[in-house]
Amino acid sequence: MFQMVNAAFVAGLIGNVDQFRHAIERIDPAAYLSDSYFGRWLGGLETLLVEREVIRTAELNDRVEELGGAVSRIAARPSATPDRVAYPPGGRHGQRPILAAPLYQPGQRVRALSRGLAGHTRLPQYARGRDGIIVAWHDGWVYPDSNAHGLGEYPQHLYTVCFEGKELWGEDAEPGIRVHLDLFEPYLEPVVPDQPEQDEP
Amino acid sequence: MTSPSDPELRARALEALLIGKGLITEAAIDDRITLFNQRVGPMNGSRVVARAWADAAFKAELLLDATAAIAPYQFVGGQVDKLVVVENTPEVHNVVVCTLCSCYPLAVMGLPPKWYKDPAYRSRVVREPREVLAEFGLMLNPDREVRVWDSSAEVRYMVLPMMPQRLAAADEATRIAAIHRDALIGVVEV
Amino acid sequence: MPELEGIAAPPLLNGELDFEAPWQGRVSVIASALSDAGCFPWADFQSSLIRTIAAHEAKTDQPYRYYDHFLEALLSLLAQKQIVGEGELQSLAEMLKQLPPGRDHAHDHDHDHDHPAH
Repeated sequence: MFQMVNAAFVAGLIGNVDQFRHAIERIDPAAYLSDSYFGRWLGGLETLLVEREVIRTAELNDRVEELGGAVSRIAARPSATPDRVAYPPGGRHGQRPILAAPLYQPGQRVRALSRGLAGHTRLPQYARGRDGIIVAWHDGWVYPDSNAHGLGEYPQHLYTVCFEGKELWGEDAEPGIRVHLDLFEPYLEPVVPDQPEQDEP
Repeated sequence: MTSPSDPELRARALEALLIGKGLITEAAIDDRITLFNQRVGPMNGSRVVARAWADAAFKAELLLDATAAIAPYQFVGGQVDKLVVVENTPEVHNVVVCTLCSCYPLAVMGLPPKWYKDPAYRSRVVREPREVLAEFGLMLNPDREVRVWDSSAEVRYMVLPMMPQRLAAADEATRIAAIHRDALIGVVEV
Repeated sequence: MPELEGIAAPPLLNGELDFEAPWQGRVSVIASALSDAGCFPWADFQSSLIRTIAAHEAKTDQPYRYYDHFLEALLSLLAQKQIVGEGELQSLAEMLKQLPPGRDHAHDHDHDHDHPAH
């Protein structure tokens, strides 16, 4: 899981800040700023490190500009005082820009995870392990429960996923029912053809 | 005089502590209470629906980007980060729920009704929506698809009901008065 | 099969009672005021509420009281954020309980209105 890799990496990093800085400096700016898994990982890690004051935001900004990148495209910055967030009045509280492109497209088949989400409150039990179709993409949002995992805001792409009634409730389900859920990218996995369905009680 | 119940006592103690710590003021709380008591919320949603019925361009924008479409109204009473309006048609009927915690688009629909927060509604409408709607008096044609929208993240949903024939010649005020909050949730039609 | 309440009758502005007691409305408002002031993101409160409700629903013998859960979810979040501790809350609640009836103001201020006899 991405989150576990993050935590382990950071735990190993705290005593090796300079090594990490050098590693950042060696990164090809195109890779750093591209819409890639690595870009998202780096964005999340950066947020974590800035919050823990391992790296100052200004240092990273300077380096990105030096490399020809656009500072505004970097993943969400944590606030200076993580326990008090200044919201603009009438502002979009939860929305955040995300560097990386969404993994899924409308029309794509996905499966809601059935395990590995301990402590996450936003995937109802009835949908776990079930297959659905992406019907909308809502850009990036603060990932709920991320603070509990020491990840700060950790913005993620949000999708509306449509589940057929029979998929959720079996053959006895009422006819012609579709249930739509708004699910974060880490809750989903792509459906591989011929992948066996998990039988949930 | 009976002692206040435990939750009430805790609630009062909480308010006192927060005021003492300078995090809230009694005046600010009283002002907000007044705002909620005015219950303009559901009326806001009804106004939006009535306008969509009369103005095809507004309706199109509402379905495409409801948050932007309602922004000029500057509705107060709670921030809606993102609103999605789902349209009822002869082929599709929509109904909204929050199975996890009863969240609700306060700014356009005011405070949710008690039954909306009830575990029975929350758990049953995703599983057997036709049965639940029938209990509200709404009998749907079996050929009509039912779409349930479970607000599990920050997106909030409101239903755009179909306009009934009996309102075709009515003025806007009459239409607004006829659009009940429950039709915006999707458990009844107008 | 549990019974659901029927549709509230029109007019729109006069629906059924949203709060059974004033404290419920005040707690609702306090939660949103604290969030707007930056004490916590609303999504964090929602997650706390979801957890509180789920923990209750695991104990099926107890009646469901939404605002009791709402209050506990708020208190849990505030304790976690070290904004209001359970200890100080209990102490103050105990003090409020000892106050004679009528003396129910949660803070000190000067006022002229009459209290019921006590």
